[in-house]
Amino acid sequence: MKKLIQIHHLSFSFGKQQVLAELTADFYGEELTVILGRNGSGKSTLFNILSGMERHYKGEVLFADQNRKDIHAGKKNTLRIGFMTQFHQTTFPFTVFDVVLTGCAAFSRFAPRQVDFDLVEENLRAFQLWHLKDKPYTALSGGERQLVLLCRILVQQPNVLLLDEPTNHLDLHYQVAVMEHLKRLVQSGTTIVCVMHDPNLALLYGNRFYVMQDKKLHLLEEKDPVALLSTLEKTYHVALTNVQHDGRTLIIPKRKHL
Amino acid sequence: MGRRVKVLLLILTPFVVLFFSLSLGSTGYVGILDLAHYMWMGIQRLFGHELARATTDIETILWQVRLPRILLTFMVGAALAVSGGVLQAIFRNPIVDPFSLGISSGAAFGAALSMLIPFIPINLSAFLFGIVAVTITYFVSYAGARTSMITMVLAGMIITGVFTAFLTVLQYLSDPYKLQAIVQWTMGNLHTASWDKVQTTFIPIIGGLFAIATFRWKLNLLALGDQEAMAVGVNPRNIKFIIVGLATMITASAVASVGMISLFGLIVPHISRIFFGPNNQIGVFANMSIGGTFLLLIDDFSRAVMPFEIPVGVFTMILGAPLFIYLMRKNAVNWNA
Repeated sequence: MKKLIQIHHLSFSFGKQQVLAELTADFYGEELTVILGRNGSGKSTLFNILSGMERHYKGEVLFADQNRKDIHAGKKNTLRIGFMTQFHQTTFPFTVFDVVLTGCAAFSRFAPRQVDFDLVEENLRAFQLWHLKDKPYTALSGGERQLVLLCRILVQQPNVLLLDEPTNHLDLHYQVAVMEHLKRLVQSGTTIVCVMHDPNLALLYGNRFYVMQDKKLHLLEEKDPVALLSTLEKTYHVALTNVQHDGRTLIIPKRKHL
Repeated sequence: MGRRVKVLLLILTPFVVLFFSLSLGSTGYVGILDLAHYMWMGIQRLFGHELARATTDIETILWQVRLPRILLTFMVGAALAVSGGVLQAIFRNPIVDPFSLGISSGAAFGAALSMLIPFIPINLSAFLFGIVAVTITYFVSYAGARTSMITMVLAGMIITGVFTAFLTVLQYLSDPYKLQAIVQWTMGNLHTASWDKVQTTFIPIIGGLFAIATFRWKLNLLALGDQEAMAVGVNPRNIKFIIVGLATMITASAVASVGMISLFGLIVPHISRIFFGPNNQIGVFANMSIGGTFLLLIDDFSRAVMPFEIPVGVFTMILGAPLFIYLMRKNAVNWNA
């Protein structure tokens, strides 16, 4: 696989507070890359830079050898980059269907076409959300909203999908459903970069893992249980033990008080 | 009520009300059969038919007084309503309208300025100052994703205040004859309607409405927020710029021709959302139809019920305020502020 996203010497500060320092990393095409790390470690800042929302950084961010700042949305010949953020509020009670339909807006000029309607239906059905299509989006639960937004990103059929904690509001059923779906997308050629908080869910489905620590990304040696444990223990400041499952290493925190 | 029936009513009601409005006026009521007869005569005359050339007083009133006024009223109502709906969607704020963002008072100042200084086209001047006002309001209240609805309305109030003060200065400086013209016109007067006014207003308003209608689906996207637009590959900045410009253009031409009509652009979008939901694909057309029809009915009321005419701006405020309060109390206004 070739390197699709390359980050060289990326630095970013909020005023005087440095968030990212000389960060260098490569994310490979057609893989599910997961970024782990503590709260406030700079994961979301990195995410904002990758998604193009934050442009005042030092260093270089390349998507398929093209500078991120030069990739302009809405053009047909460029990479389609879809992203989903953690927080979202909406003012007007649009129906679920109308919300998802806006995902197609970059390509149809004035009004949605039949293809767009079909894509919306396909994606809503894939997540068993079709029965909600006429409900106001504002009346949904947090988890349902998250799934609807994911569908909305997916209808534009992105080449690169950037997700900031896509499973944080979901129950176990939907966590698995979403991860399985992401896995299928990767198999059909999508590149996914995902910020996650649950290391085990990440280890079960990811191809490559990074840990955000000390303003940098560190590659996680997931194949070596000892190295994996020590890195994650250092990152999360928790004593851990490992479990082997299906050729993968999963982790369990050690209880202090037995 | 089924969706089809609603859409059918949306299309038919304006024509019924337009026809009905022609028969009303201070000269007297014209019966439907007579009206149909006059219309037939008028159409024949358009095609140069010999027999129909004779004109009566009532015909003159119908074609030279009532028809231009009705057309102008309808266009202005549609323009203000669409402008309000568009601004609410773009700023994701159900309590803004051309008036509360300062566009109306900016445009009013611009229009008044062109009344005093010759050689400045009134539409252009109103448009420029409307744009200046909304730009200031936007940048004063802008705080990224955290832009507060309340701050935006407060900023708009301040800008409105400033431009109203400028307008007062203009009134203070102008001679009594022009002063009267400016004061009457700021109250929102439809009785000065003429074919000339219809002509100057027609192109910017109809053109602007048509252009906005082509963006009707993109409005849904923008109403979800800038980030959500970028997330699916749309750069919201340019589209927002164009749409706010168009909304300002139609508002400014409306203000330039009939003066300030307050609250109207705020209320109508709420009414159309109650019937047709928040989807702007239908909402833009609903605002045109309901806005035009509603303003026409208000104007009919002021023409037919009272022995003297009350400026329509006063009327929309008096009729609109209780309606809006009622909707707000009933929580039918549907927003999560």
